[in-house]
Amino acid sequence: MGFENRSDFHVLVIGSGGAGIRAAVEAEKYGSVVLISKTITGKGGCTVMAEGGYNAVLSDNDAVSVHFEDTIKGGAYLNDEALAETLASEAPARIRDLFNWGAVFDLSPENTIAQRPFGGQRFPRTCYAGDHTGHEMVMTLLERLRGSNVEIRDETTALELLKDGDKVIGAVTVDRNGELGVITADAVILATGGAGQLYNVTTNSTAGTGDGYALGFRAGAKLIDMEQVQFHPTGAVYPADSRGRLITEAVRGEGGILKNALGERFMEKYDPARMELSTRDVVARAIATEILEGRGTPSGGVYLDVTHLSAEQIETRLPVMLHQFLQFGVDIRTQPMEVAPTAHHFMGGLEITKDAETTIPHLFAAGEVTGGVHGANRLGGNALADTQVFGRRAGISAGKCKSFVKEIDTSALDAVEAKISRLYDGDAAIPSVRRNLKSLMWNNVGIYRNELDLKVADREIGKMQKMPLKISSAHEIADAFITENMLTVASLVVSGALLRRESRGAHTRTDIKQKWTADNSPFGHTWFAGKKAGIDIVEANL
Amino acid sequence: MKVIISRFNPETDSEPHFETYEVSVSEGARVLNVLDAVHDTIDASLGYRHCCRGGQCGSCAVRVNGEPALACMQEAKDGDIIEPLSLPRIRDLIVDIAPAIAQMAWLNADSCFECSHVTADDIEEIKPLRECIECFSCISSCPAVGASTYAGPTAIRQQQRLNLDPRDKADRVEEAVAKGLFSCTTCHKCVEVCPKSIETPRKAVEKLRALAVKRGLSLPAHKSLASLIESTGRSVERKEPTFLERVSDVIEPEGEVRATVGFFVGCMFNGRVVQPALDAMEVLRRNGIRVIIPKTQVCCGSPLIRTGFTGFIPELQERNIKAFVDAGVDTVLTMCAGCGSTLKNDYNTPFRVADITEFLAEIGFEEPAKVEGSYTYHDPCHLLRGQHISEQPRVLLKSVAEKFVDMSPRCCGAGGGVKSGQPEEAALIGAVRAEMVKETGADYIVTVCPFCEFHLHQVTGLTVKNIASLMLEGYRKKDC
Repeated sequence: MGFENRSDFHVLVIGSGGAGIRAAVEAEKYGSVVLISKTITGKGGCTVMAEGGYNAVLSDNDAVSVHFEDTIKGGAYLNDEALAETLASEAPARIRDLFNWGAVFDLSPENTIAQRPFGGQRFPRTCYAGDHTGHEMVMTLLERLRGSNVEIRDETTALELLKDGDKVIGAVTVDRNGELGVITADAVILATGGAGQLYNVTTNSTAGTGDGYALGFRAGAKLIDMEQVQFHPTGAVYPADSRGRLITEAVRGEGGILKNALGERFMEKYDPARMELSTRDVVARAIATEILEGRGTPSGGVYLDVTHLSAEQIETRLPVMLHQFLQFGVDIRTQPMEVAPTAHHFMGGLEITKDAETTIPHLFAAGEVTGGVHGANRLGGNALADTQVFGRRAGISAGKCKSFVKEIDTSALDAVEAKISRLYDGDAAIPSVRRNLKSLMWNNVGIYRNELDLKVADREIGKMQKMPLKISSAHEIADAFITENMLTVASLVVSGALLRRESRGAHTRTDIKQKWTADNSPFGHTWFAGKKAGIDIVEANL
Repeated sequence: MKVIISRFNPETDSEPHFETYEVSVSEGARVLNVLDAVHDTIDASLGYRHCCRGGQCGSCAVRVNGEPALACMQEAKDGDIIEPLSLPRIRDLIVDIAPAIAQMAWLNADSCFECSHVTADDIEEIKPLRECIECFSCISSCPAVGASTYAGPTAIRQQQRLNLDPRDKADRVEEAVAKGLFSCTTCHKCVEVCPKSIETPRKAVEKLRALAVKRGLSLPAHKSLASLIESTGRSVERKEPTFLERVSDVIEPEGEVRATVGFFVGCMFNGRVVQPALDAMEVLRRNGIRVIIPKTQVCCGSPLIRTGFTGFIPELQERNIKAFVDAGVDTVLTMCAGCGSTLKNDYNTPFRVADITEFLAEIGFEEPAKVEGSYTYHDPCHLLRGQHISEQPRVLLKSVAEKFVDMSPRCCGAGGGVKSGQPEEAALIGAVRAEMVKETGADYIVTVCPFCEFHLHQVTGLTVKNIASLMLEGYRKKDC
């Protein structure tokens, strides 16, 4: 071991999804930048998997204020309004950046960026590239990145953030060969995405383990609303190992219909006005209820049907869906899909200002690792916009940080080494800890929550955190740290879920009767900082 | 379920070795789920990549039973052999893709959004070349990579994607030539292994070659071939009486007429190796097939299309289509894989085009006597991937060969203008194929493409027989 491998940059970006790459290409204008990613750059984040689209006000008939209102309403009024306002107002400029850089978005016959309707929005403002919009964005961003001077380090995992006093000055890393390293920087950007992998049914890539929440939390940053986990209404149910794989909202955007096993179009009962294009929290609860009450399919889902659409529409607008289902033996042109809710997006995360500053100096954050933009429920199409708007802002803010002399706290390095030594003496198998955590979270901290289940989860996670994880080679160091990160994030989710004694957005407490609706709730953000946690009170609504 | 995984740890192993694992997985499990099971329950040190688990990130490409596949999409089967892609190996199933990524060009943007003038039509044209997920399965299995300085299929795909984009301001044609544009044999292996089925040879390589030709960047050998075709209608110089000069317009079969077809001979069988075509006529006669041979037929244009000389193509197409329409046939047989693939894919013919093996297997043929010796079959790429024909020639060959030894397909290096334009590369690709032939222990190679036939003979020293000639041998033996 040892830390011979040291380097210094102006800006260190951790994470290579949409937000990380966007931040890196922006920060590069101000000085040297290194982008590290625990996967191959561009392949790890959830951006590359995002299917449906990117919300931006582009039409004269639409308005930024309407996008803002839709976002706030969809977010059950828990959003940080300044962030939501920034999202809505800058999303158009950022999609134009992408288009300038070569993005192959679908165009209308008038050669303007095409848009389609998505849930919870009063205007069809979701821009897209078929049903592989995120992939298109990442390919565009990768081209931009490859043409820049940003140093790219694939398969390099951040284990801990390094601090000098109250400032973040870099990170301890481990590469794919198990070699430790230290990267120092004048500013660090966390763009590590969400933590869907805390659940055993999720749309997230295997990289979605919430490392940035844990890194930021351990470094002392404040996090908010960690209980707000969006369950996407439509995940695959077959085959068993692919359970949770995302079935894009674009399927409903294009006209897909939800039916229960009795053939009833059940959304009539839950949201007759918006039907299938209601917000995700509503549709997910509707599907979960149908399944819980025995009107689900034998494999535990409901039907999502596009067979009434033309084959051509399905082939051109939903090619990835068509292809994926064909590989699992279902032709969606003639057969309905089977779907069920799946853990999708963390609305909570590091508290940021609209300049993407966290609560600790020289640490910035963008994308799903942050909280506040989406409130208690994110609108489909707002996450991709979020990555670009706040990715750029984080890049600027980090880039503008002044250079300073950094002193590495060697005790922090010693602590990492000591921890690694202990891992070789551990006895708890990492895969089984993860497996147990994931099913615990799904069963006890899922769509419907209650105090008893949450307390059980809290106790079980506490036990898991005490288990000494075991590794037998340096290749497993990253896995061990990531597993600890997952446990940390899980405990924050449970803690937030216990603190929030109301149903709000994606968070549903079945054990609590409440007299208020989201817009006059007495509660604000839940928050977590070091050993302290709490929930804000909105005095005016008391 | 039992799986065999190739393992390699550079710190402890001098060379890779196979390990067999027994794991239990759910119904419908993918190869990735099997790898997970091995990693989680047997050996946590197994190195493999995975990320999106939905076929969109391209991280998990491996070889399953020799063929590239995304581990997250490929259904696992008992006994699967899992190996890394054929790229520089780091550890176990992890390969170094950095050199491949370094070959991928990026858009050199015009900074002004308003004046970019991208249209919906541009987007539609780019889209089929834009779905690449950079899994690099194509580079792993491309025969030209490794036999030349070719940057590989997806690098050329990216050149054409940028070339089609009005926002890009760089010269992508010259760059493509520097990246080995003329190294592609058009074998279409890259299309076969691509998880997104991107048609790089047709939609990128041939399109860029056409542009290179317009810029005068073509290879000298291709240029002289093109002028020969333009002046004579043939890609082969006349040195002896041609097939078309030697046969009558209509060849009547022996006995009952079971079918009437047109016959498209192609330049090689017309002028260079005439005997197999004459043999084929005998085989068709014997099987009750009346053959009509319009003498106005010319070169199909394949050598021009593959090498980028597309200017003369419309005229060739018109002349050939007219020749067979005037002959009044509804089916036209080819016995050259390249001609067949061209007529099927690059023409819009008002008649059916069928390979001779496809047609004989379909209508049934008289069983020949077994001919001595052990035979292997070489799949011509333009028959296998250009026409999706692999079973029929084997059916014919098994009927006549005393001993048949099968061999998995691989490009021999003769196609795409590579043999004429870059003969050293063709020889290197051929040498790999020659090794495979040697492993079969066969005495003879049988194939259905005159280019493969000629090249395989050169690289193996073995006798390469046309399937029709061998059939005729069997019939003659039967008659003795």
